Amino acid sequence: MRVIVIGCGEVGQHIARTLSAERHDVTVIDVDAARVEAIQGELDALVVAGNGASPKFLREQGAAGADLLCAVTHSDEVNVIAALAAHQLGARRTVARVRDSEYFGEDESFARDELGIDFVINPERATAEDLAEAILLPGAVHVEYFADGKVAVAESILTERSPLVRQPLGTRRIVRPSVIFGLIRDDRAIATDPGHRPKIGDHVLVAAAREDIAPVVAHIAGRAERVRDVIVFGGGRIGVPLARFLESARGLRVTIMERDADRARRIAEQVSDTTVLHEEGVSKDALLAHGVDRAGAFVACAGDDRANLLAALHAKQLGAGLCLSVVSREEFTPLVDALGIDAAFSPRLVTAEAILRAVRGPNVHGMYLLSGGAEVVEVQADAGCEAEGRTVAQTNTQALTHVTAIVRNGKVVIPKDDERLRANDRLVVFNTRQGVAALAKTFDAAA
Amino acid sequence: MSRARGRLGPNLNWQIIVPVVSGALLAVGAGLALCFLVALVGGDGAALAFGGPAAVVLPLAAVGVASGRRLRSMPLRARDGFFAVTMAWVAAAAVGALPFLLHETYGEPVDAFFESMSGFSTTGATLLDDIEAQPDAVLLWRSLTQWLGGVGIVVLVVAIAPATGLATQRVFYAETSGVTAERMTPRIADTAKIIWAIYLTLTALGFTAFWLAGMTPWDAINHIFTSLATGGFSTRNASIGAFDSLAIELVAITFMVAGAINFSFYWSALRGRQRLWPQAAEVRALLLILLAAGAVVTGSLLLADEGRGVAESMRASAFSVVTVVTGTGYTTADFDEWPNFTRLLLLALMFVGGCAGSTSGGMKVIRVMLLGKAAAQEVQRQLQPKAVQVLRVRGRVFSEEVRRGVFAFFALYLTVFVVGTLVMAAFGLGPLTAASSVVATLNVIGPGLGDVGASESYAAVPDGGRWVLSALMLIGRLEIFTVLVLLTPAFWRPNIA
Repeated sequence: MRVIVIGCGEVGQHIARTLSAERHDVTVIDVDAARVEAIQGELDALVVAGNGASPKFLREQGAAGADLLCAVTHSDEVNVIAALAAHQLGARRTVARVRDSEYFGEDESFARDELGIDFVINPERATAEDLAEAILLPGAVHVEYFADGKVAVAESILTERSPLVRQPLGTRRIVRPSVIFGLIRDDRAIATDPGHRPKIGDHVLVAAAREDIAPVVAHIAGRAERVRDVIVFGGGRIGVPLARFLESARGLRVTIMERDADRARRIAEQVSDTTVLHEEGVSKDALLAHGVDRAGAFVACAGDDRANLLAALHAKQLGAGLCLSVVSREEFTPLVDALGIDAAFSPRLVTAEAILRAVRGPNVHGMYLLSGGAEVVEVQADAGCEAEGRTVAQTNTQALTHVTAIVRNGKVVIPKDDERLRANDRLVVFNTRQGVAALAKTFDAAA
Repeated sequence: MSRARGRLGPNLNWQIIVPVVSGALLAVGAGLALCFLVALVGGDGAALAFGGPAAVVLPLAAVGVASGRRLRSMPLRARDGFFAVTMAWVAAAAVGALPFLLHETYGEPVDAFFESMSGFSTTGATLLDDIEAQPDAVLLWRSLTQWLGGVGIVVLVVAIAPATGLATQRVFYAETSGVTAERMTPRIADTAKIIWAIYLTLTALGFTAFWLAGMTPWDAINHIFTSLATGGFSTRNASIGAFDSLAIELVAITFMVAGAINFSFYWSALRGRQRLWPQAAEVRALLLILLAAGAVVTGSLLLADEGRGVAESMRASAFSVVTVVTGTGYTTADFDEWPNFTRLLLLALMFVGGCAGSTSGGMKVIRVMLLGKAAAQEVQRQLQPKAVQVLRVRGRVFSEEVRRGVFAFFALYLTVFVVGTLVMAAFGLGPLTAASSVVATLNVIGPGLGDVGASESYAAVPDGGRWVLSALMLIGRLEIFTVLVLLTPAFWRPNIA
């Protein structure tokens, strides 16, 4: 597959690295010649300096024959123009990062249907959504929804309160139909079998129907209280949409702490029920003064990873409930576990999820990237594909995946091993990287 | 070219001020001419009192307006704006006083000026003890002054102020910007035309309604002039009470409320625009205030148990509350005879007024709303000093300037009220009469309590007090800042832009 990535910042580099690791031909374009030179050696990709929004330059770079063009520069306008130009030149799929929701808002249909941009991604907004969903599901540190929201996959940290600790997974009490298919330990995702005994600190991965996920997660976590107070540290592109998602939830009080006075004022104009505080400090005293110790959840999403981690660490030590932090740069991710912060969220990963979805082809509908290269994807089993008519156990063995949930005729099924797959099933599949190539082979009719 | 050349006295641009004031006088002259014709037809001897001033004012005003033809595009500076607007009202009131003097309705210039200012400011306070003894032309003139004053203030607030640039808006109507300072059309002239069209339509509707409700066409025209303008002059000594008709009272209530609604709200509503929230919120609040106050007043009348039935109490309360809150000043029942609680409640309601950009006076509903919110936020701030607070009505955010403006307006309003009351007391009026005469004129209502109550005229006020009350009507009508800024030394210092 030929892929053009425009803009080689954090996100662009990550996409290029991921895609080239999956053996795609990647061309990276950036206006900054110095940066191009610096990156060239690190990437197994063609890196060129030039204006990605110029149709002439795009043609020279072969946009006409590209299977995918990802426009992820810092400028929304450049991204949109580049995607439009590439679409006109004949690129098969285009993805543009547009962070200002003034352009397309929540409704992507204008961009897709009228402008011909296949995906408009707003990583910050999507991250805010992820954060809000985690906060609204007590006991979980992350939750991702698949199949139009019908299936939920949640990540929950085991504490001493959890009934699962040191018990074989197969013996757990089944509260509602659900499956624990894997866990994350030491920053690596591993698949689990019924005999596995999880430890304290493991992040357990569980799938269930949307309406069942809350009791299931509550059971796994041992005790889960509804979050009533959320403190959002940093009112930027993530903090503000997060507050707006949360303030629409019933019975939730949201407080935003913002260090810049003008910005704090602008935020206050954008939110309705949220308390906006102009607070410059990240110190414990400052946090304590605003009741961080009594907060049910603390989200650090200021612009700077260091400040985020520090604030989340303070909050955790002061006794805040769920402590989440946004961590943009890859190199800080290992710190999250070490500092005892419950979960890290990254706009970079969200972007990569969206783009990988586009790369994987039309059958892949949802994607949730886990640390250590594992992923949960939503695929559709084509009529006539290899998997049709086989049992779940056979499919799992062959494709090195784990089918966790099936949506069939609008209903969610948590399958047993002998469940047979049918054409047009929507499957939520856990797969630990080795399965990527096999995945397409198993479910794609064409392959 | 647009600079005033004089280096002495205030730096004013007469090239702009003269046409503006002349424009107002042209309207006044037209009104005088109309009354002249009515007097001719009626043959009641008042023709000369109207014809004379009209013959002098109309040509002069026409020349003045014509002098401004070439200067259409000239920017109106804030200081010229304040001066021109204040002068327009003062000149209109002065010219409007002439027929009262010439016809010898009043012997004293101060009385004639008081009556005329009461008309153009849409106050409705009168010195006449026997209104019905006046000829038709004089009665029509009183109604006309209110009708002209009513549309004048709306055109000023809704069309001119938002279009005169940031400086004017900021000082002039800083406290209402965001509600009234939203242009209806790109051009002032178009906005003014729309306002006139709305005003004329409402006048025609109201005329028909009064007529159908049982008034003679003559009474109907006079009363729609004064109800839509929330003025309150009547052709009868007993005001609306003279008709003793529920239908007429309901029509009057309808058009008093119509006059108290922001005119840009009508425009937005007509165009079916979704974004009329701030105005809609203000209108909703006005109606809620009327309903709540009506219920409380009804309850207090019933509790007082003075032999009125439920229906009678409701009818009297509804009318009095509407007439007081909208700043009209019609009377049916003499609310000065009501229980003390009710009297003082009505006095307090006088401060509220209608919507910004309407014909009514008072502090305006939106300012009361903003003031309440801002004050509540100040209390909240004691607990959370670092909280960033935003003044918001129905999702619409108001700037920090508006917050300051609202507080300043309230402080000035109270100061004017207190000082005015002291001055009136110095003229020998009792506390209730002194306070209520200031409240009723500053808020351009009309009748007050005590010796200036609903069944009395302002005849009890001494001459000096009449000048003071006339000034208060002007100050209240032009929303305080406009007139007070003329009283600052800085305004009169030369060579300051």
